[in-house]
Amino acid sequence: MSTPREFANTTPEGRPAGVVSCGQIALLFARVGLTSFGGGLSAWIYREVVTDRGWLSEEEFLGALALCQILPGPNVINLSIYIGHRLRGARGSVTAAGALLVPPMILIVTLATVLHRATELVWVHHFLEGLAAAAIGMTMSVGIRTARASISVHRWSLLLIAAVFLAVGVLRWPLVPVTLVTGAAGLWMAWRGRRER
Amino acid sequence: MSDNVYLRLIAVFAPLSLLSLGGGQSIVADIHLQAVDVHHWVTQAEFVDLFAVSRAAPGPGALLTTLVGWKAAGFLGATIASLALFIPSSLLAYAVALLWMRHREHPWRQPAEHGLAPVATGLILAGAFAILRAASASWSIWIIAAAALFIFMKRPKLNPLLVLFAAGLLNVLFHFSS
Repeated sequence: MSTPREFANTTPEGRPAGVVSCGQIALLFARVGLTSFGGGLSAWIYREVVTDRGWLSEEEFLGALALCQILPGPNVINLSIYIGHRLRGARGSVTAAGALLVPPMILIVTLATVLHRATELVWVHHFLEGLAAAAIGMTMSVGIRTARASISVHRWSLLLIAAVFLAVGVLRWPLVPVTLVTGAAGLWMAWRGRRER
Repeated sequence: MSDNVYLRLIAVFAPLSLLSLGGGQSIVADIHLQAVDVHHWVTQAEFVDLFAVSRAAPGPGALLTTLVGWKAAGFLGATIASLALFIPSSLLAYAVALLWMRHREHPWRQPAEHGLAPVATGLILAGAFAILRAASASWSIWIIAAAALFIFMKRPKLNPLLVLFAAGLLNVLFHFSS
């Protein structure tokens, strides 16, 4: 098996030629962990890893994200393990997951001693609400961006995106069966499309 | 069950790790049951507080577990509860990542990524919508979310913290002026 870090050079669209170091991975995931207000961490990671740095292609990121959604455990931790491994092998996985978890863990214990009184202050509550609203906008923008890219590869992607959004977002059906069924449908369609091409 | 609080934390959170299908949200109800009703690590009111903090703070929502462990048995409790929740699912994810990466050149690989991309995209959008719906009925939230969406579509590389901070201030102003 070839070492994963070789792949860092091979992503399409002229990606950075240098090898990504564990230090860079740690910095990136610690930053995401500490700044990702408002939830939707996979959108934050997408921004950093795909949009800003081009360490992973969009296709690979989305494939891995869908896998991570099906597996048990917090999706973002699973995703960080995948990305870490992809860039730097086993050490990369441990670095990425650790950097994503440990700093916010320390922060949240600190906050819990202070913030539970602070959230009773009306303006703090409104401030956090505003943060969360902007974070939703950012997540949406990532969703629209990846939707466009996916639809440009296969038209039928739009149908699948709409179905998943309706089932999970609007109807609140359980995520795992929806992901399994739509994932199977997507795989089948993509495989057929490939043979016809 | 053992009287040792650390063992009890492991006994509660390690199984939940592999049951937390589809992310951390699905196990919140069970964490609540175990932490409040079964083991009395926190009171009902404390739990609501901790949940609010875990939502407001940055980082994965699953850090609720860290807080429960911390309330149950201090710093060591926080560490043990977190490890119990994260390690089993992480090992599984690692094994799957290895398999997935080993088949990079497989003829199935590209169709697999193309087929899964719309599902991941739909889930990103659904996640944003779910948070929006849960956040508030207040009109200012919708306006700020729409404005942020517009800004991030136009300038995808803009530092999000800048926008988020401005949005927070804006929302405070909205509420004080109305």
